[in-house]
Amino acid sequence: MRFVIRRFLLFVVALLAISVVIFAALRILPGDVASVMAGLNAPPERVAQLRSQMGLDRPLVVQYFSWLGGLLQGNFGTSLLTGRSISSTVAMRASVTFPLIVLGLIVALAIGLTLGVVSTLATRPAVRSAFHFIAIVGGAIPALWGGLLLILLFGRGTGLLDVLPSQGFPEAGWGNFGSALASLVLPALTVGIIDGASLMRYTRSALGDVMNSGYMDQAMACGYTRRQAALKVGLRLATPQLVSVVGLMSAGMITGVMVIENLFALPGIGAGLVTDLGNRDLIAVQSELFMLAAFFLFVGFLVDLLHRFLDPRLKHAVQGGVQ
Amino acid sequence: MPTNSGAHGENDATDNKTPGTNENETAAKVAGGAVNATGVSANVSDTNAKAAGSSADIGDSGVNTDAHDNSSVKASKNAAGSTDETLNAHVKGVSGGNASGVNGGKAGKGKKKGWIWAIVAAVVVVALIVAFVVIRGNQKVSDGMARMHKSDSVTVGLKLAPTNLDIRNQSGSSLDQVLVGNVYEGLVARDSNNKVVPGLAKSWEKNADGTSYTFHLNRGMNFSNGDKLDANDVAWSINELMTRHYHDSESLMNFKSVTATDADTVKLDLTAPYANLLWELACRPGLVFDKNANYDMKTQAVGSGPYTVAKFVPNDSITLKANPKYWGEHKAKTPTIVLRYFGDDNAAVNALKSGDVQVLAPVTENLAEPFVKDSEHYRVAAGDDTDKYVLAMNSKGVKTSDVRVRQAIRYAIGHKQLIASRGGADKPLGGPIPSLDPGYEDLTGLYPHNVDKAKALMKEADYTPDHPLELRLTYANTYGTELGDQLRSQLKPIGIDLKVNVVEFSTWLQDVLKNKDYDLSMVDHNESHDFSQWTQDSYYYNYSNQKVKEYYNYAMAASSDSQRDALLAKAARVVSEDAPADWLFNYRITTAMKAGVQGFPLNLNQTLLPLYNVRCMTTVK
Repeated sequence: MRFVIRRFLLFVVALLAISVVIFAALRILPGDVASVMAGLNAPPERVAQLRSQMGLDRPLVVQYFSWLGGLLQGNFGTSLLTGRSISSTVAMRASVTFPLIVLGLIVALAIGLTLGVVSTLATRPAVRSAFHFIAIVGGAIPALWGGLLLILLFGRGTGLLDVLPSQGFPEAGWGNFGSALASLVLPALTVGIIDGASLMRYTRSALGDVMNSGYMDQAMACGYTRRQAALKVGLRLATPQLVSVVGLMSAGMITGVMVIENLFALPGIGAGLVTDLGNRDLIAVQSELFMLAAFFLFVGFLVDLLHRFLDPRLKHAVQGGVQ
Repeated sequence: MPTNSGAHGENDATDNKTPGTNENETAAKVAGGAVNATGVSANVSDTNAKAAGSSADIGDSGVNTDAHDNSSVKASKNAAGSTDETLNAHVKGVSGGNASGVNGGKAGKGKKKGWIWAIVAAVVVVALIVAFVVIRGNQKVSDGMARMHKSDSVTVGLKLAPTNLDIRNQSGSSLDQVLVGNVYEGLVARDSNNKVVPGLAKSWEKNADGTSYTFHLNRGMNFSNGDKLDANDVAWSINELMTRHYHDSESLMNFKSVTATDADTVKLDLTAPYANLLWELACRPGLVFDKNANYDMKTQAVGSGPYTVAKFVPNDSITLKANPKYWGEHKAKTPTIVLRYFGDDNAAVNALKSGDVQVLAPVTENLAEPFVKDSEHYRVAAGDDTDKYVLAMNSKGVKTSDVRVRQAIRYAIGHKQLIASRGGADKPLGGPIPSLDPGYEDLTGLYPHNVDKAKALMKEADYTPDHPLELRLTYANTYGTELGDQLRSQLKPIGIDLKVNVVEFSTWLQDVLKNKDYDLSMVDHNESHDFSQWTQDSYYYNYSNQKVKEYYNYAMAASSDSQRDALLAKAARVVSEDAPADWLFNYRITTAMKAGVQGFPLNLNQTLLPLYNVRCMTTVK
């Protein structure tokens, strides 16, 4: 419990620090939302008028604290451009991005774990290096290119097997469950295959370590075959490490799927962030970045807790230390 | 991707540790291996450095969890202890309270298999769902009888998305494109040749010296919310525009007052004649809003046009529904029109191929080829527009204030080559006025492509390919990198070393438009009737010529259109001769659509896109 509290306090302090960094970094960018709004032909007075309407002429410190004050009350603010509440916009975008990440992770886990385990268990050098080759090639595929290839193979209207929608998200959103899911299949495969390949490398190295350890000898001494020992003892031991990797991977995917969202014309978080930044809608961008940072930290926090659950040794280690 | 580079790091870290294990004897390996495994996991999570330090009890519980035989556990415990006696103390201290760990481990064994099965199951489920969707999709195609049928809905793919619907404040032609004529209507309107036609006003007259206009409105007009639209709304809208300085208010020059003389008549007075007045009233300044309606203009729209905004997802799509209360002749032929915005050109093309959109405007010419080839199912056509790709040369810049340099650049640029590499639809443009605007004249003969002449001018100014002039070209990343590369290679032989600086649009706005900090700049000036830019000393061109201002002022005070056009043409010629910029080309929009689509406007459709006439005829089998 003490650990959880300490970890949580750290989480809060980190968020505060991040809010300062985000706010300051965005103010260094050239250009502002008022001139984007005013356009090419507007006289300078019009830009100045918009700036004061939007409160951009207030001192930065005042702007920062009014933003932070909102955050503390759970109010992420209203976008200067769209006039919508940022939290509802992000929620709408997240309803595309998070399912995409989950599907991507399922694909990545299915590919990465299976191939990782199989390649560790493989004994013939030729087979092992074949798997190694797959891992390297898979990890090296640029997401954009991989996505285009999948569209060419499976995209409706474009592919050899024209079965799956290659762009867009249904207007009804998840209300139209079948087509919403279908529209995420190709993007999820694109992300999943690439992340699956790197997950395969992690699995191989984590499991490989355990395989060389005394646990295996011990397990085999108890009568397990090598394969049984790997699956029953090895995987269990490698799990904490894999959980960390998958945690980081799922957090990283938010930005990783940015390119994919654009390619498949999905209105997700990544694509939205790029647009908002381009428009210098800084209030929106800073709140979005803040939410992303919070999510990253939260995943880290969760992974730590999960570690302690999966690996009771950690708990005792700390207790031992305290005693 | 970040995770990939992470993968290499982790592999190295774990690989380095492996040999250490091999040095121990078999029994000691148990503990050694444990140290190793936890060391790795701590590495990854970065959470607790202590974990690795107190490794003996970690090793102990790890063995307890997984091994079957208690006696072998004890053996290994002793072995572990023999490697480090101080840690052995921990082992003893902890092993007593370890029962829960053992139980947890045994329960976990069942889960392990389940875990693998869960993944397999997930894959199967995904595959089944996909198969289901596919089969259902195929079924849809194969029912019904063959006949021509008008679709209830047409989806149009566009490129630049509006961020909000506040047409009084937000700049950008994407907003005019959706709202003007479809949702909001103006006092007057313009047709696809950019000429003024009746709108809410069915007729108008002006007094002899052109300082007073009287507009006669249609009768029985109303807004989509049911409110009546009459002269009071018109006068209120224009007065609001002027007092609150809404977007484009400065283009209603010489404005004095506007009043509703009765319910159907509006009188607009000017301080001096203004020849562009009617055209400006066909754009944003003439739009009429409901003075009694109170709504959030960023997210909603209440207008008098044939369509209403049913749904608006910023940067993604706008759904328009036919306005059931529409008063006029332009009744919507298609009940629902969805406008979808594509940031990625390939995604847009795929959407047309798969039938998710029926029209694509614009389509990149080079990507339109499959549609051109398949003329049985698609139609591809180009329309005129007022987009001018302006390569501005800072007239007060340190290096570009020399007129010889600017003229040399104009001679050196091969416009035909630029246009050909973009697909060939665009038109050469020799001056600031495009063919759809008043005062157009073909000025491409003023600076024909002539590299020798360009070289001679550069030599006069003391620059040669061996001693080149370094210039910086700044433009926004929305235009791609090819244009910059082409200009660099075209300007190299005449002794200009062009550094291409591709930036975000908002950076361009700051550096070039606001601070005028540039040598060369390129931007697509898509606005119509924007010649006045060349008469403003404060505009980013840094261009100033008294003669141009005089011609322009005379043109704006002209009593007839032909007089105005002749004067504007003169002014444009002077600007072009002074070479404050090069006009790379007049961009023409290429539109691709399904064969059954009718009534989609081709000209000007990036700023003026009347949708009431758009319909899609399909053959249903």
